[in-house]
Amino acid sequence: MYLAGHPLYAMFSKFSAFTLLLLTFGHALLMGQTVPLSSVSSSTFPANGPADKHLVVEVLEGASVHVDADVVIEQGHVAMRDGRIVSVGAGPYVGSAGEPVVRHDASGQHVYPGLVDVFSDLGMAKAKRASWDGKPHYEREDSQAALGWNGALHSEFEAAAVFEPGAKRTEALRKAGFGAVLTHRRDGIDRGTGAWVTLADDAHRAVIAPRAARAHSFSKGSSRQQYPSSLMGSIALLRQTYHDAQWYAQFDRPLERNISLEAFNARAGLPTIFETSGWQDVLRADRLCDEFGVQSVFYDRGDAYQRLDEVAATGGALIVSLKFPEALDVSDPYLARLVSLKELKHWELAPYNPGRVAARGIEMALTMHGHDAAKSFWKALRKAVACGLSERDALAALTTVPAAMAGAEDRLGRLAVGLEANVLVASGPLFDEKTKLRANWVQGTEHVLQAEPEFEVAGHYSLNLGGRDLMLRVKQKKEGHPKAEWWPAEEPALSDSALKAELSIAGRDVVLQIHIEGEGVFRLNGNIYKNSRIWEGRGEAPDGTWLDWAALRQPKPRPKGPEQARPDSLEGAQATATNVEAAPELGAVTYPFGAYGTTLESAPLVESLHIQGATVWTCGPEGKILGGDVIMHGGRIVAVGTAMEPVLDPEMVFGKYGLNVQGVNLQVLNGAGLHVTPGIIDEHTHIAATRGINESGQASSAEVEIGSVLNSEDVNIYRHLAGGVTAGQVLHGSANPIGGQSGVIKFRWGADPEGLKIKDAAPFIKFALGENVKQSNWGDHQTVRFPQTRMGVEQVFYDHFHRASEYGQAWSDYERAVASTTRRNRRLGHLPIRPRIDLELACLLEILRSERFVTCHSYRQDEINMLMHVADSMGFRMNTFTHILEGYKVADKMREHGVGGSSFSDWWAYKFEVKDAIPYNGALLWQNGVVTAFNSDDREMARRLNQEAAKAVKYGGVPEQEALKFVTLNPAILLHLDHRIGSLEPGKDADLVIWNDNPLSIYAQAQQTFVDGRRLFDIERDLELRATMRAERARLIQKMLDDPAESKPPPRERRGPHYHCDTVNDQI
Amino acid sequence: MRVLLPFSPSIVPLLALSLALLPCALVAQPNLTPGATQTESVLIVGATAHLGTGDVIEDAAIGFSDGVFNFVGRRFAVDLKRYVRVIEAHGAHIYPGFIAPNSTLGLMEVAAVRATVDFDEVGTFNPHVRSLIAYNASSDITPTVRTNGVLLGQITPRGGTISGTSSVVHFDAWNWEDAVVSEDDGLHLNWPSTHHKHRKDGKMTIGRQKSYDQRLTEITNYFERARAHHLSSNPPLTDLPMRAMSGLFASGDSPGSQTLFVHAQDAKQIAEIIRFKRAMNLDRVVLVGGQDSWMLADPLRENNIAVMLLRTHSVPRYDEDDVDLCYRLPALLEAEGVQYCIQGEGRMPEMNTRNLPFFAGTAVAYGLEYEQGVRALTLSTARILGIESTCGSIEQGKRAILFISSGDALDMRTNDVTHAWIDGRQVVLDNKQIQLYEKYKAKYDAQPQY
Repeated sequence: MYLAGHPLYAMFSKFSAFTLLLLTFGHALLMGQTVPLSSVSSSTFPANGPADKHLVVEVLEGASVHVDADVVIEQGHVAMRDGRIVSVGAGPYVGSAGEPVVRHDASGQHVYPGLVDVFSDLGMAKAKRASWDGKPHYEREDSQAALGWNGALHSEFEAAAVFEPGAKRTEALRKAGFGAVLTHRRDGIDRGTGAWVTLADDAHRAVIAPRAARAHSFSKGSSRQQYPSSLMGSIALLRQTYHDAQWYAQFDRPLERNISLEAFNARAGLPTIFETSGWQDVLRADRLCDEFGVQSVFYDRGDAYQRLDEVAATGGALIVSLKFPEALDVSDPYLARLVSLKELKHWELAPYNPGRVAARGIEMALTMHGHDAAKSFWKALRKAVACGLSERDALAALTTVPAAMAGAEDRLGRLAVGLEANVLVASGPLFDEKTKLRANWVQGTEHVLQAEPEFEVAGHYSLNLGGRDLMLRVKQKKEGHPKAEWWPAEEPALSDSALKAELSIAGRDVVLQIHIEGEGVFRLNGNIYKNSRIWEGRGEAPDGTWLDWAALRQPKPRPKGPEQARPDSLEGAQATATNVEAAPELGAVTYPFGAYGTTLESAPLVESLHIQGATVWTCGPEGKILGGDVIMHGGRIVAVGTAMEPVLDPEMVFGKYGLNVQGVNLQVLNGAGLHVTPGIIDEHTHIAATRGINESGQASSAEVEIGSVLNSEDVNIYRHLAGGVTAGQVLHGSANPIGGQSGVIKFRWGADPEGLKIKDAAPFIKFALGENVKQSNWGDHQTVRFPQTRMGVEQVFYDHFHRASEYGQAWSDYERAVASTTRRNRRLGHLPIRPRIDLELACLLEILRSERFVTCHSYRQDEINMLMHVADSMGFRMNTFTHILEGYKVADKMREHGVGGSSFSDWWAYKFEVKDAIPYNGALLWQNGVVTAFNSDDREMARRLNQEAAKAVKYGGVPEQEALKFVTLNPAILLHLDHRIGSLEPGKDADLVIWNDNPLSIYAQAQQTFVDGRRLFDIERDLELRATMRAERARLIQKMLDDPAESKPPPRERRGPHYHCDTVNDQI
Repeated sequence: MRVLLPFSPSIVPLLALSLALLPCALVAQPNLTPGATQTESVLIVGATAHLGTGDVIEDAAIGFSDGVFNFVGRRFAVDLKRYVRVIEAHGAHIYPGFIAPNSTLGLMEVAAVRATVDFDEVGTFNPHVRSLIAYNASSDITPTVRTNGVLLGQITPRGGTISGTSSVVHFDAWNWEDAVVSEDDGLHLNWPSTHHKHRKDGKMTIGRQKSYDQRLTEITNYFERARAHHLSSNPPLTDLPMRAMSGLFASGDSPGSQTLFVHAQDAKQIAEIIRFKRAMNLDRVVLVGGQDSWMLADPLRENNIAVMLLRTHSVPRYDEDDVDLCYRLPALLEAEGVQYCIQGEGRMPEMNTRNLPFFAGTAVAYGLEYEQGVRALTLSTARILGIESTCGSIEQGKRAILFISSGDALDMRTNDVTHAWIDGRQVVLDNKQIQLYEKYKAKYDAQPQY
């Protein structure tokens, strides 16, 4: 009954009659592992009409049978019954005696397993998003059920339960050759479970594995809840969810029922698919999963080739996008400036991504995700194959690999007995340009994609039109109806007077219209007979009379010289084009990928360098040395002094390290007229981070880490190096009293995000006070979140610190209880309940234990004073007040407390709370014995921090050497890194800058900037890089102009967000 | 009376007398009283005088009386007896007062407090809105600007298509009437973007602004109507905005009295502005911002369009731009012979006005000659503002607007303004910030050494 009106009936093909028959008689049999015939009663659906028993075996015979990417059986067969494969082998199918068999001649065809896409959201209704009312929502409002607290978590969601195949998308996938997909709903951070479904039209048959995989992402999706408002918030939320689930699993009768966590635990063993947006995200996702012993499969947007080694090191398989960037319209030279070198390079290299990923040995599946239509998918796929992806790898990436990624290797991806009868029939080898996909069998049901043409109609015909003799020439076109021309028979062939005739053919039914000048249009209908040689029928003349007509195909005209030559030369031209394609000029992958990146080969090495006779501002006990020398080796400074001193004898210097000076390739740099300083350190920066610098969704977000969202590709890193800046603290913003954990990094241009981090740096966290945290300047709607006053801010701190302290107590109680558990109870599993790991409180507890240090955004003296009191009473010391523009009013109190100040040199007048800010602040703090630094909080000014230090000389008369320490040694002290950086002393890191003038002068330009002994900026090399970039850009623009794409979208703006403390909104 | 103020470091003990190094000595004027009318002639000798014209005089003598320069030359050539007050300034530098064009100083006190923000009026075409009368001559910010040598400014409205009318003022006045140097010097037109950006799939896409032609038509029509109004001998009614546009247009043979300042950064906009100037036959057009102006140097020069360059301390727009591109913009225009000056629009423009000298210092570090750098803050600016006949340089007969810095004023390391005069009136080099500094310094000085 349920087949009545089934869309399958509407399918037309040469096999349609058989199919119809089969379906009618065979369908009621339901699936069994070994296709038993005894399943008469195995459908729950009542039959309307005769039962469908699925008795007939359907066989494709005589084909090249591609069992999988490695094995081909020539002249083989594939036999299917009741939706499963029952036999695969060489020669014809030999069934059991008396078995009903329908044999399909597939000779000359290539037969493949139906393709498999492991990354799909087929049949998932889009998650509904509440309309935005402009107000912040701190609580979950989308559901009142016993679900988890955050609307971005959908652990309880099951794709199988809501899957509804939609005809259009199902058909598009089938057309592309797919037989099955793993579908999940792409909404939220935890997306619940996905299901394997075939592309059958009926969901009951299609869902073959309802709980096949879980899916994660960093995108909050449809949730309107404030939290998370940043990528780092998403990461923290997912981590916390893993911890919560582990904790929750201990309870038989939980106090607080949480269906989401129960579902999360129930699906814990399933494969995990993690949607990412680029290789940096892959690394982030992998770090997250590693913490919980989970190895995810990553969806790669298509840029893994930019960091293959790092991506390979995750050990995760990749689902690789075939959505390649389009060529843009770069015809307007002004507008073309909007297209970055990075975009241009990516446009060129993205099609090589699949090939390079596979060649690197990374397990790879390909996906149609990103393509709506089969045509664009196949175009991209063939492009990837043309760009180095082997056909074997391509086929594996579309069959066995995706199937195995989510445990469907015994159901999908191969042609083998017992697997779903998903069989793709192609006219030739799958990846050949000319191959057509003929039919896609899904669970034993044939879907005709493009029928083999039954006959050819091209040729010359003599046309008798009611007694009149005409000539007709018919040309087959690639698509659509053939083209026809006619001319009077008495004229020579291909007469100049040939006129267009309208021809349309449907099956063997033909309609022909011939317009004869002076008479009108003859409208003819007829049939095509005898393998298309004879057409005949009746028609209506322009005057309304009816007539007979017939056309007879003539033998092929003798080949003519020039006519014949043309196609040849065309092919020749194509062949040449292909050859050019085979060895294209390709840009190199640079690190970072884009502006000012360098190839691995030309990456700066650690230098052994002896700088001689320079003015050395050590910022250490040696002070400023005129005519000083610095020797660095192995990434460290090994000697500092004057040439006269024996400590600077290279033999001695290297002897100390057991090195022979001849062996170290020590280069000498004449420092006459040059100044050498330690690398500049920015205590407060927001560059090199991505997708949100503030997690503003809560008053405390101690659980989020800037370190988890570092962006090593930010060109500002290079610009900073050009200003002599070598290290910085990437801080959370100031949207809430308790912000997030800092990323303390060196500006190691070319490294990956982890490579930026200073490994043993002390952990830090950002706090904030004043107008930002009480949301004074956020607009009229933002009046809900606690705190809205400075009074409330204090209580946020006390509340959280008390909770953190109690949290610590709970854990030590637990540990004591575990220790005192008897062996017997332990054996019986009678253990005390483990407290929940709370990432937020754990972080705050570290502060209370002086294992983590606080940098606090602050302006007014009252709140500075307040926070020092909070710290005193909670038993820790504030480490740094940043901005601290009224620090000068409480400098003595700050000294007493032992807190440092990292200030702006001269900012004020931007908020009410800075109306008493003065540029003498730095000097007064310093004069009062407070460790004082100047910071940027601004990507532009950060490049000139040496000049900001000079303002401490100008405003308040700080001596020059001390002023320079404001941006070198003092921030190093504030960051607890002064044992490694901040001054030029033997044993410290070789982070130094060579200037052409007094470093405090506006005329000083960094000539060379070293980080760990690597020359990451060099004013000469900078010019070379510019020239290289210009040439590469010019080449790519020309190439893009040559791209044959029909329509090219306009260029795109690519200025990234510029983060300050109070940047609240960014896309996640 | 003859006061000798030593600047040579060798006479350190006398520093105690220096007004400069002890601003607290001026607590006699805690209220930052504007300087009194010049009654004594003043001569500064021994300093290096940067005239603003591109010339420099070593061991100079600069004299002024009744608010006007009356001697500009070498020390040996001056007749000391003509002057009542002679200031020995050996080792120091003299500059014409620096000019901050395109500034919102005095129109805003605290950016985050709406009640104090007065530069952006409602409406699209507001030529009749005048910044001058909203200029707060007793803003707390202005005195912090003078102390770095910035003594004049063009107070400029923002927003809309035509923001309004600016005026040039000096920074030591009791009120705006006293402050005015050039009343209603020009109108400010924000050129619409030819291309707009919209967000799609997380990416910014740029396309031709659909409304651009419409907006251009509106601007063109507006100007045409204003010209008709201007040419009409007897307009039937008073149309305030139209009347305010009048100064842009020529009257018979005499060119328009006001300048049209067109604000734009993009190359395509600049090309459009050049076309607009020619089409409208406007006499005085200045491009404000002009980040891409170096790409259109030839047509700008040929069409006599000067550029008020954006802050040199700006981040390059595109990743692969030269890292130092904005630093080098003045040198690029100088090399191409385009008339330009340096301005400071950008982040926190009001408070950053005091860093204007350093925007020029950076330009010197990146290719300008030193005196070109000074000129880009003084005479070039005055020319562009149309006040060069009286201001912008140290030249005999011009208004005595100048300052002394004990060191190079374009470098924050040495910028140390010890004296400043506006029309010969000595400016009190004190400000709220210095007062707060002194207040708290005194508190700590009274505490026992830690």
